[in-house]
Amino acid sequence: MSNEAVISAQRVTKRFGTQVVFEDVSLDVHKKEVVAIIGPSGAGKSTFIRCVNQLHPFNGGTLEVLGHTLTGGGPPPSREVLQDIRTRVGMVFQTFNLFPHLSVVNNIILAPREVKKIPRPRAVEQAMELLAMVGLEHKAEMFPRRLSGGEQQRVAICRALAMDPEIMLFDEPTSMLDPELVGEVLAAIRRLARQGMTMLLVTHEMQFAKEVADTVVIMADHHIVEQGRAAEVLDAPATERAQVFLRRILKPAEVDEVGEVAPARLRGRL
Amino acid sequence: MHIPILNIPLLYSGAIAQGAIKDLMVTIISTILSFILGTLGATARLYGPKLVKTVVYWYVEIIRGLPAILQLFIIYYGFTQWGIDFSPLTAALIWLVAYGTGYGVEIFRSGIIDVPQGQWEAASALGLSRTMTMFRIIVPQAYVAMLPPLTSFVVLQLKNTTLLYLVAYSDIMYQARLGTDATEQPGILYLMAALAYLIMSLAIGRLGYRLERRAAAYR
Repeated sequence: MSNEAVISAQRVTKRFGTQVVFEDVSLDVHKKEVVAIIGPSGAGKSTFIRCVNQLHPFNGGTLEVLGHTLTGGGPPPSREVLQDIRTRVGMVFQTFNLFPHLSVVNNIILAPREVKKIPRPRAVEQAMELLAMVGLEHKAEMFPRRLSGGEQQRVAICRALAMDPEIMLFDEPTSMLDPELVGEVLAAIRRLARQGMTMLLVTHEMQFAKEVADTVVIMADHHIVEQGRAAEVLDAPATERAQVFLRRILKPAEVDEVGEVAPARLRGRL
Repeated sequence: MHIPILNIPLLYSGAIAQGAIKDLMVTIISTILSFILGTLGATARLYGPKLVKTVVYWYVEIIRGLPAILQLFIIYYGFTQWGIDFSPLTAALIWLVAYGTGYGVEIFRSGIIDVPQGQWEAASALGLSRTMTMFRIIVPQAYVAMLPPLTSFVVLQLKNTTLLYLVAYSDIMYQARLGTDATEQPGILYLMAALAYLIMSLAIGRLGYRLERRAAAYR
C-alpha cells in the first residue's frame, strides 16, 4: 500500500435540517487500500460514502477526493469537478439500481459510450469481458428483472467497473440479498480487492470485512467510534461503544431485550 | 322528402367516414405535439427555474379550470375581436394542442416522479449529465409508467373533437348534424356517428394495450 491518500475526510459533518446525520468524520483511504465502514443502522455510514462522490452535499469539514477539495457548506463543486470525480469513482448500491429498460450489456456500456465516448464495439467487448469475469456473459441480452438479486448486483459491479474507476464505493452491497446469494457478490468484491482496487465499503458482513479490509472504521451514534487495522479493531476493540456493537452483531442470539449480552457464566443458569 | 331508413347508411357513410378521417387527423397531430410539449412542460415544471415552474403551473391550472367549449370559443371567436381570424382547422389544432399539453404535463409529471430516486443516483454516480439522465434513463421509464393514463387521454382527445363542429370544422359530428337536418332521421345518423367513434377509440385502446405488453418485457 502506497502512502498516497486518494480520499481524505477532515471533520466532515452532515445534517438534514437540524438533525445530525454524522459529525466530525475524519478518515483516509490510501491507494490500493480497502476500508470497510461498519456500525449500527442510522449511524450515517451510507450517507457518508454518498458524500464522497457528491450524491449528497455535506455541511462542514473538507473532503479531498482524487486531488479535488470539497468544502462543506460552501458553494457546490463545478460541473467539471463533479464529472471528474464521478467518472473516476465507481459506486455500487444496496438496491443495485440497474436501469430496468436496458439489457444487461446496454446497462454496462451506457456510461462508457455517453461519458467517455468509447465506440460501441469496443464498449461491448469490454462489457463482455467484465461479465465473463463475474460469470454472467450468457445473460448479456437479458433485462435486469430476469436476473436474481445476486446476478443484478454483479452486473451493477460490472457497470461501475466499465468506467475504469480508480476508487470503488460499495454501499451495503449484500444487505438486500437472500443469504444464499451473498457469497457470489462477496466473491466478486474479493477478487477486486486482490487486483489492488482502492475500495471504501459499507457492510454488515463482519467476517468479510475482517478478511478483505485493511482498515475498519466503526461508526455509531453519528460518529466514528473506532478505526484501525481490521484485525485489531474487530478482535480487540478499544472503545466501549465498539465493543457493545460488535458483541451485538457477532452474538445476536445472546442479546437480551435491552440489548445487553448476558455474561457467559450467567447464561448457563438461565 | 322521406328516405327509407335502410338507405341512410348507404347515403351518409361516405360523409361520416370523411368526418372520421378529419377527426383522426387532428387527434393524431395534436397528440404528437402535446406529447412533446407535455414532456418538456413536465420537465420544466419539475426541474426548471422558479419562474418557468410558476408559468407551467398556471398554464395547467387554466387549461384544467376552464370549460373546454369556452377555451375553443376564445380561440375561434374571441380572437377575432383583435383581428386574429383562425380557420376552423387552425383553431381546432391550436385548441387540441393547448388542451392536450395542459393534461400532458400532469400525466408526464406523474410518470417522471414515479421513477425511483435510485435511478437518478445510479446515473449521477456514473457521471451522466442531468439532461442525459433525463432523456436516456428517466423519460423512457416514465413513458412506460404512464401508458395507461396516456391511452385514456388520447381517447379523451378523440372525443373532444366532437366539440369542433361548433367552430364549423367538418368532423363526424358536423356530418351527422348536416345529415339530420337534411333527412330528419337523427336516430340512425347519430348511431352511425357513435359507431365511428367507438371503432376509433377501440383501435386506440388496442394500440395502448399492445404498447403496454411490449413494455412489460422488462417490467
